Amino acid sequence: MSADSDMEYSDNDCEYDDYYNSGEDCDVERLDPKKTDPEYFEFVCLTVEEVEKLLNESVEKLNTILEITPSLAKVLLLEHQWDNQVVVDKYRKDANALLITARIKPPNPLLSIPDPLAPSTSKDAVVFGTSSSVSRSSSCSNDDSPRNALISLGICNTYNTVAPGGGIISQRCQMCPVCASSQMGDKFFSLSCGHAFCKDCWSTFFDTQIFQGISTQIGCMAPMCNVRVPEDLVLTLVTRPVMRDKYQQFAFKDYVKSHPQLRFCPGPNCQIIVRSPEVCAKRVICTSCHTSFCFKCGMDYHAPTDCVVIKKWLTKCADDSETANYISANTKDCPKCHICIEKNGGCNHMLCFNCKHDFCWMCLGDWKTHGSEYYECSRYKDNPNIANESVHVQAREALKKYLHYYERWENHSKSLQLEQQTIDRLRDRINEKVMKGRGTWIDWQYLFNAAALLAKCRYTLQYTYPYAYFMESGSRKDLFEYQQAQLEAEIENLSWKIERAETTDLGDLENQMDIAEKRRTTLLKDFFPVDF
Amino acid sequence: MANMAVSRIKREFKEVMRSEEIVQCSIKIELINDSWTELRGEIAGPPDTPYEGGKFVLEIKVPETYPFNPPKVRFITKIWHPNISSVTGAICLDILKDNWAAAMTLRTVLLSLQALLAAAEPDDPQDAVVAYQYKDKYQLFLMTAKHWTNIYAGGPHKFTECDSKIQRLKDMGIDEHDARAVLSKENWDLEKATENLFS
Repeated sequence: MSADSDMEYSDNDCEYDDYYNSGEDCDVERLDPKKTDPEYFEFVCLTVEEVEKLLNESVEKLNTILEITPSLAKVLLLEHQWDNQVVVDKYRKDANALLITARIKPPNPLLSIPDPLAPSTSKDAVVFGTSSSVSRSSSCSNDDSPRNALISLGICNTYNTVAPGGGIISQRCQMCPVCASSQMGDKFFSLSCGHAFCKDCWSTFFDTQIFQGISTQIGCMAPMCNVRVPEDLVLTLVTRPVMRDKYQQFAFKDYVKSHPQLRFCPGPNCQIIVRSPEVCAKRVICTSCHTSFCFKCGMDYHAPTDCVVIKKWLTKCADDSETANYISANTKDCPKCHICIEKNGGCNHMLCFNCKHDFCWMCLGDWKTHGSEYYECSRYKDNPNIANESVHVQAREALKKYLHYYERWENHSKSLQLEQQTIDRLRDRINEKVMKGRGTWIDWQYLFNAAALLAKCRYTLQYTYPYAYFMESGSRKDLFEYQQAQLEAEIENLSWKIERAETTDLGDLENQMDIAEKRRTTLLKDFFPVDF
Repeated sequence: MANMAVSRIKREFKEVMRSEEIVQCSIKIELINDSWTELRGEIAGPPDTPYEGGKFVLEIKVPETYPFNPPKVRFITKIWHPNISSVTGAICLDILKDNWAAAMTLRTVLLSLQALLAAAEPDDPQDAVVAYQYKDKYQLFLMTAKHWTNIYAGGPHKFTECDSKIQRLKDMGIDEHDARAVLSKENWDLEKATENLFS
């Protein structure tokens, strides 16, 4: 039996997904899902390997067009959000400027820095610099073909050993400004900026940088030099496999983060990367870990509220809840003398200790006028004279407004957290019915669909509260709150009907599901911002 | 302690000792222990600044990973400066954080700190109170900084007005430095300072 129900349950899982993606209203949505479904969103879930392949294709493309190394191509793509066309255009327009902004080249050509530790060795740097510095300055001033500029800079292999191919220099000893030791010239490496350091220092430096999580942003070790170390030099000099792996992982993260079409799935330990051609605040459900999130900001999906507003709301909730709750729940101003009163017990008939005014704690009205209608005043009403009230009262009114929305937000959030329990209870009830011979398991499946739809509607309803909170008063807010109330009413109806479904007759319930979902889509269509 | 760090520090130590700044007495460096992990630096307050005439002592801790990570530096001498905490002596300076480069040395650090004393950056403050005073009440800032330099770093400018206000608070049983800190923070408004201390 238990094995059976397990199997049945996993069947259900598929059904939930199918219901919403290609479910019953398919015949309507087939027309054009982009227009009919406000939440329609095209995306694919990719593995790390697939994304690597995708990025490599971009790199290779640039590689062939511009004839540059993959290492350089990666830097340029990273700096330009992986837009091949932009890189190519900029490169053809002014390769020199492009390389400077991408921090491949130093802004000031030729730096023969006097070495602060060992001034005597700076001569060597100049000796090295001569051959390339001539061509460098000429290519900068003449601004001839960018390709030539590149080659003459030795950018094509992106780094130079200071004394390639031996010669006189490699025979000489040179002082490394970092470790302060003298070594043979051929042990030295430098970037296009010409700052030479020994091999051991570079690799120790790379290790410490990688250890701190820095990869594509590793820069030259010279003071005030911001030239970036390209991948190939790092991978040439870092030999420990652990560090190489780490470097590549961190670099991959940087690449994905800089790519506008790619997002890491925020699910715990999930390796999936989601890709979508459009960047908008729509829902993505990871096919691997089933985490649902907003493609744009990576937070929980939050329609109809937009990314900025939901962030504001969540920060507010994190900041304010405690104090706000306390103040709102425990203190009020005396309506006559405006002294702040904390009510720590007793009845609602208040006698102000300051001005001896009798008033009602609930509505702050004069107690004498209350008579027997006392319980009328427990309803929440907006105070129309708020503008004339003291700062204290205004602050409290603002808190009251916030709490009004916050409580509802919290309430629905808690209901949703209990979703699994609801489903468990539903399954128990169905089992009971089936045992009593009232319909078969299959007959009762519609209840699961209904419960899933209920959760979906509740979710949207939860996120309507931050939206409403930040909305300005006016006819649009009135319309929003009207639709919100409609949705809420239908959700409560649906919830009621699911709880009390006694027959396998699904007509009534399906009708209710349809109404609730229609309310939800209407609200989203009218208010969910379609931002690209 | 890693070998490279030690050999670098030894070398830099010599470099500072040989440098012309040491001849002019504007920077100084000394060893605290034999392991070369902790040093004590000293910089002279630059001329034409409220710090002129003062000597500021610095704590320098050299990490294992030096010179690939920056040394940890903080002011031991109390100082009133927007980019240095008046409480802890912590320094907000880019080269001691993200902009550190392995080829930089203790000498460059000390000279940069001296430059920081000469050119504060109140928009990037370590001590928000000082920065606010610097931007909003510059004359008061100058007086406070000179007063602190006089008291803690041996600077030449004495402010009897400050001293008498501090004495008033001391008479109420407040510690001298606490009194000075609160008065400095409250722009030398004795009433506000008292309120702050006793509320």
